[in-house]
Amino acid sequence: MEESEPDNLADESRQETKTDRQVDETTEEGTVSETESTHTTTDGGVASQQPAENTTDEIEKQFENIKETRRQRAVGWAALIGVLGFLTYQGLSATEFFDDDTDFTWGHFSTRMTEYFPTTRVADLSVVSSLDGYYLWAVDFREYWAFIRDLNLIYDPEVGSLIFQFPINLTDLYTFVFVELGIFSVFGEAGTTLAMGLVGTVLGFPLALLFSILATERVLPFPFNFIFRAIMSFIRAIPAIIWALIFVALVGLGATAATLAIGFNTIGNLGRLFVEDLEELEDGPIEAMETTGANKSQIVFFGMLSQVRTSFIAWTLYIFEINVRAAVTVGVIGAGGLGAIVAAQQAQLNYEQMMATLFVIFVLILLVELFSQRLRARLRSDAEKRSWRELIFGFPARMADSLRQ
Amino acid sequence: MSKIVVDGLRKTYGDTVALENLSFEVEAGEFVIILGVSGSGKSTLLRCMCGLNEPTEGEIRINGKPMTAPRPEVAMIFQQHNIIGDMSAYSNALTGGINRTGFFSSIFQLQSKEEKRRALDALDTVGLLDEAEQKTRRMSGGQQQRVGIARALVQDSDVLLADEPVASLDPGSAQDVMRYLQRASNERNLSTFISLHQVNIARKFGERFIGLHNGKKVFDGYRDELTVEAIDKIYGDIDTDGMFANQESDGESSTDPQKEVTV
Repeated sequence: MEESEPDNLADESRQETKTDRQVDETTEEGTVSETESTHTTTDGGVASQQPAENTTDEIEKQFENIKETRRQRAVGWAALIGVLGFLTYQGLSATEFFDDDTDFTWGHFSTRMTEYFPTTRVADLSVVSSLDGYYLWAVDFREYWAFIRDLNLIYDPEVGSLIFQFPINLTDLYTFVFVELGIFSVFGEAGTTLAMGLVGTVLGFPLALLFSILATERVLPFPFNFIFRAIMSFIRAIPAIIWALIFVALVGLGATAATLAIGFNTIGNLGRLFVEDLEELEDGPIEAMETTGANKSQIVFFGMLSQVRTSFIAWTLYIFEINVRAAVTVGVIGAGGLGAIVAAQQAQLNYEQMMATLFVIFVLILLVELFSQRLRARLRSDAEKRSWRELIFGFPARMADSLRQ
Repeated sequence: MSKIVVDGLRKTYGDTVALENLSFEVEAGEFVIILGVSGSGKSTLLRCMCGLNEPTEGEIRINGKPMTAPRPEVAMIFQQHNIIGDMSAYSNALTGGINRTGFFSSIFQLQSKEEKRRALDALDTVGLLDEAEQKTRRMSGGQQQRVGIARALVQDSDVLLADEPVASLDPGSAQDVMRYLQRASNERNLSTFISLHQVNIARKFGERFIGLHNGKKVFDGYRDELTVEAIDKIYGDIDTDGMFANQESDGESSTDPQKEVTV
């Protein structure tokens, strides 16, 4: 019975197409007879024009169709923009834009802005007689630099003196690396911020990995995997800066609390990116591992993680980039690094110093992004690229090759 | 001995019947090719045989034990290779012996020397010993499939199953892969089941053939019994004339634009 059903279905559909074809034929016949009748009443020219008129009708119909859909789309867009505009208006009210005590004091603002930029005379313009008494002014970057040095924003001379000396003192070098642990602290406050981002990422990664694996239905059946999804959603819902406020109770206000907060936040953020990848796994490699008789953890490692390895590394680098930025914002509550400096200088109304710190932040974030993006681009591209090791150690061989040619 | 018994096998997916009342027996070391068009149930049969799918009715007994879940004594080769592209051919081959290795030794490749030698031996069987350290992602389709075969060989199974192993390969690599499969099967005396839809390749390499049509066995016999009539029965109303042509002319005809227009 079940066998013959598809055949019947196929027969039916075949019959349907047949009837369709018959209908087509009849309409064609109808057109033909019409044409013939026209032909009999008028001369041959009209008969040949008939199909052409049909086409114009079709074009006209299609034209109307298109016009109608365009009109509907325009109405839709207008309605959408209207609704959005109205919501924005409500929002502006909620954000106190229309309050009486919200003044846009542009004068005050521009005066303040000038305080961010220390200026200095670079040239006396009185050499030109008409410009007597005028000077050329410029932003004095020396003041920024002086401050960057004073507050050890990018370099800590106490730690740095251990390595930057000639001749190199091996005892000091040992002290620098293994006693002072100065790889980050030599870069002063910027080093602290960078370390917060790095350590946060490293602390968060294993738990993000574990939670994301447990959050997939392949590994844990339905209701249980959602527990881990819920945990990650909860962690994610609360920003790192709030987590830092919570961790202050554990370790006190400082870079430790900030780093723990960033690490904790990484579980939520990185875990979610991992889960998205793990949901799009192909069954094939997993089945292949099942048939080899692998145990469950081996199936997870070889069947699942092997498929997403590259993208997991790329996501982790991306989160590292975000975590360094988060280290700046979390620092603002006084939890160390460049963020804490910005907040302190702002509180002391030292706007020049604040601007100098912002420059350092800008450069640091830029470098981190550059590093992370380069590395990710390299991971994603399939082409075999020259590794650093090969670049250095392969140099003699390449020179020899070029000589031979 | 590894006798394979398929007994009254029936497999349905929802309302669709994939396999119906399928029974056959195969002695150890036989080289069997399963023929049929797409959707005839070849893949379902192999997936049931390796334990990835469970039969709806009936059972498959390998070494006397019914297959209900994957077992190390049955190795499978997939159409899409399903090897790990980020790993070398050697590392992929090593995963075949994963069931004999603990978790940490397998992820850090701390297998015994014997296990490692077995992987290299398998790569040698499929002619990839020199490419052992190459990442499989950078290999050709045919080479990747041979890595898949090497992995199955490292598994040290009694039964080797291959689901359309050459379907996504060009004619040249397809013949290569089939040759290596045949060699591996002979060298290690493996009971081998290969599903194919190309009759020409099947006739060239097969000894015994099982033909499936709409989930039912329509043919079971040896090469000399595989007549035009038998093939018509397996392939139904599909034009099989071209399938008897040899590989070279097949390749030519597919590049012939005239032929494509008429199809």
